[in-house]
Amino acid sequence: MKRVALVILGLSFSCSTAWSDQLADIKSRGVLTCGVFGDLVPLGYQDPKTRSIVGLDVDVCAAIAEDLGVKLDLKTVSVDARIPSLETGRIDLMTASLAYTPVRAKQIDFSSAYMNVPVSVLVKKDSGIKSFADLAGKKVSANRGSTSEVFARQKLTNSEVVSFDNGPASYLALAQDKVQGMAMVKSAAVGFHNRSSGQTAFLDEALFWEHDCVGVKKGEPALLAAVNTSLDKLESSGRLQTIWDRWYGQSNEYQLPREKKVTPASEFE
Amino acid sequence: MNLHSLAVLADPNVQLLFLRGTLTTLELFFASAIAAYALGALLVVIRMSGWLPSAAVGAFVEYHRNVPSIVQIFVWYFGVPQILPQSWHTYANAHLSAFFFAVVALSLNAAAYISEDLRSGIRAVPTGQMEAARALGMSYLKAMRWVVVSQAVRGAAPALVNQALGLLKTTSLALAIGVKELMYVARQLDGETYATFPSYLTPTLIYLACTLTLMAIGSRVQQSTRFTR
Repeated sequence: MKRVALVILGLSFSCSTAWSDQLADIKSRGVLTCGVFGDLVPLGYQDPKTRSIVGLDVDVCAAIAEDLGVKLDLKTVSVDARIPSLETGRIDLMTASLAYTPVRAKQIDFSSAYMNVPVSVLVKKDSGIKSFADLAGKKVSANRGSTSEVFARQKLTNSEVVSFDNGPASYLALAQDKVQGMAMVKSAAVGFHNRSSGQTAFLDEALFWEHDCVGVKKGEPALLAAVNTSLDKLESSGRLQTIWDRWYGQSNEYQLPREKKVTPASEFE
Repeated sequence: MNLHSLAVLADPNVQLLFLRGTLTTLELFFASAIAAYALGALLVVIRMSGWLPSAAVGAFVEYHRNVPSIVQIFVWYFGVPQILPQSWHTYANAHLSAFFFAVVALSLNAAAYISEDLRSGIRAVPTGQMEAARALGMSYLKAMRWVVVSQAVRGAAPALVNQALGLLKTTSLALAIGVKELMYVARQLDGETYATFPSYLTPTLIYLACTLTLMAIGSRVQQSTRFTR
């Protein structure tokens, strides 16, 4: 019994103080495991034609893998599985629409932001709502687990924020007048706005800027630094702009300008 | 495992969040359970009395047993208001909450299962019991009340407790339409803090406490109604 206890004690010590450098592991393995969404257009989703996972997040992680000189191994994750898969080491880098907030940064490390988009509020045109103040006493939908939900709750203190599982459900609630506003990153909300046949409008004010970063397990400074260096290189070579243009640029339905370049974490912390 | 993340549970706001979530879950559960057991009993009476063709009750039961519960909740919240006239739809949006639609969907769903459990309990009582009671001069209703149903409920009790446990856990599906119950607040906390482990550990323990209480009540009731020969 005593021996078992000692073994358990020893194991738990070796777990908590395990000294490994994830970056060195990735390089010796020759494979970088990236976590992406499999159901979020256009960040990470299954291309119906090729059946492979594609999207902006996928391209960003592929570019980082290329820069590190290793092969890319994609794994799709759900919203709830993002942090545990990172913490258990099942996934090296999380590029799954992972947005920075100070509270979240206590659990994982965030790289520089590779995508910066405003969180905006979509309302119905005939509702007469023009500003955040008009939303007082009304309901606002948001995607569960998103920063839009967090920001809406912080900023729209006089409105009730109701979260739904995904964009289509949040939008359906707006379309059916269950809620009077929908808080969502503009890059995603534009898709719903375009399909509403002119019935919806964005409020002029933005709730906040969402900074999407690469998620790295805590205590891996070498890996975090390598990711940041890669992102800077990809920015200066124009690769990130090319990736943005592929998914949000003039050639597709979003036609969103890229308002901010790679932003170091120090700027939004 | 990330133990330092447990620190988020020390925040009084987080505790309040979980308290509110637990209360909403219990409200959902009690409202749906009362409606479901009453409706379940009614369904058995309708089915056995032959007031309505048995196929009508059968169709109700089969729909609720064979369509995923989450779809049933979506149908009530997003689907039904759309087929109603616009004025009713507006009324529903103004006066009926997501909570209301969740209770409707959950109680109809549970009622279907409960009616089947009660029916199997009644069928487990030998027909000779009814015949003997009638031969002793009891009316049909009296024989049902004092001889058949009292034995049927006793036989169906374990299954009925099972349904209560199932219903308690199914209430978590109401988060899909924005009811702020226990799993809703768990996922809200997870999204806000990324402290996934404590966010899910807390509801796990709360659900466990509730189901164990239900099981204890169930076995007490079953013991007190056990017959001695």
